[in-house]
Amino acid sequence: MRPVQFVLILLLLGVLMLYFSRLRSGLLDRVVVLLFGLLGIAMVVAPDWTNGVAHLVGVGRGVDLFFYLAIVGFAFAGLVLYSKVRDLELQITKLVRIVAIDRARQPDAIQVPEERDGP
Amino acid sequence: MCGREPSGGRVTSNRDVYVVIAAHNEGRVIRTTVIPLVERGYSVVVVDDASSDDTERQLEGLPVSVLRHGINLGQGAALQSGMQFALRRGARYIVHFDADGQHRVSDIDALLAPLRSGQADVALGSRFLRAEDRAAVPARRRLLLRGGVVVNGLLTGLWLSDAHNGLRALTAQAASRIELRENRFAHASEILNQIRRARLRHVEVPTAIVYTAYSMEKGQSSLNAVKIVIDLLLRRIFR
Repeated sequence: MRPVQFVLILLLLGVLMLYFSRLRSGLLDRVVVLLFGLLGIAMVVAPDWTNGVAHLVGVGRGVDLFFYLAIVGFAFAGLVLYSKVRDLELQITKLVRIVAIDRARQPDAIQVPEERDGP
Repeated sequence: MCGREPSGGRVTSNRDVYVVIAAHNEGRVIRTTVIPLVERGYSVVVVDDASSDDTERQLEGLPVSVLRHGINLGQGAALQSGMQFALRRGARYIVHFDADGQHRVSDIDALLAPLRSGQADVALGSRFLRAEDRAAVPARRRLLLRGGVVVNGLLTGLWLSDAHNGLRALTAQAASRIELRENRFAHASEILNQIRRARLRHVEVPTAIVYTAYSMEKGQSSLNAVKIVIDLLLRRIFR
């Protein structure tokens, strides 16, 4: 085994362990992540078979095919993250707004009981 | 133009006009901006967008409502909070007014006129309708705003003379149909989008901008304009 294979396998296992120990996720997510992890390890241990797959779709080497897919994958992940952040931002905004309105300092002493937002 | 009216019935008639001011670190000017509004009998709502300075303390003793955002969300979010609060308090008209004192209090009446007569649901201030207002705009800003008009027109379908004027007035009914989700400065374009979608009737009203050293310093830089466009484009893609 070449040193790079050793390092890559360690890193992959590390990522998998982090994922399973830190992130709570559904069963489906876990299975998909596990499969991808195993696939990754298989690609590192025996890189040659990936060339065959690459030839099927007209790419010279398995590494190149993987590289192309990775770029698309990262772009996709970035977009998903972006929209999640936006959702979060919206939720925080609503929360901050409710608190601000509830605790508003009124100009007059007589305070009309305010209606609260629905659930 | 609008002189100061003697106190009387006039003053009480402004009670249902809620002037919403978004303020972030405006401690130096907020009091000066708010006092003339209070004197004219407007209901003033200041939304302190998590200022780190003494903005909130500057308002002590004044008959104004103060909302405080626990974390800084941006001007659009602050205006939305202020509007929501004003609507609950029974506002009939809502006016957006900048905290830095660049708007003239006397322009509010002109903005409200088309709403009171039922001619429009939303009145938007423009510094490009009168020669003297136009002349007051610094040349570089004029160029930037002209670009903004085109961007806004293309993105929102609303072609106005002034792309980013913070002075607006809405009827309560119009305000209740607008929900600013664009927290930062892109709300100025977002509001146009929503006006068009909700088929609200809008007019542009000539208003002046008082360019002070303070407002220029705090005002938006050209770089900000780029950020706004990026915000808007992303928004188009992600709803």
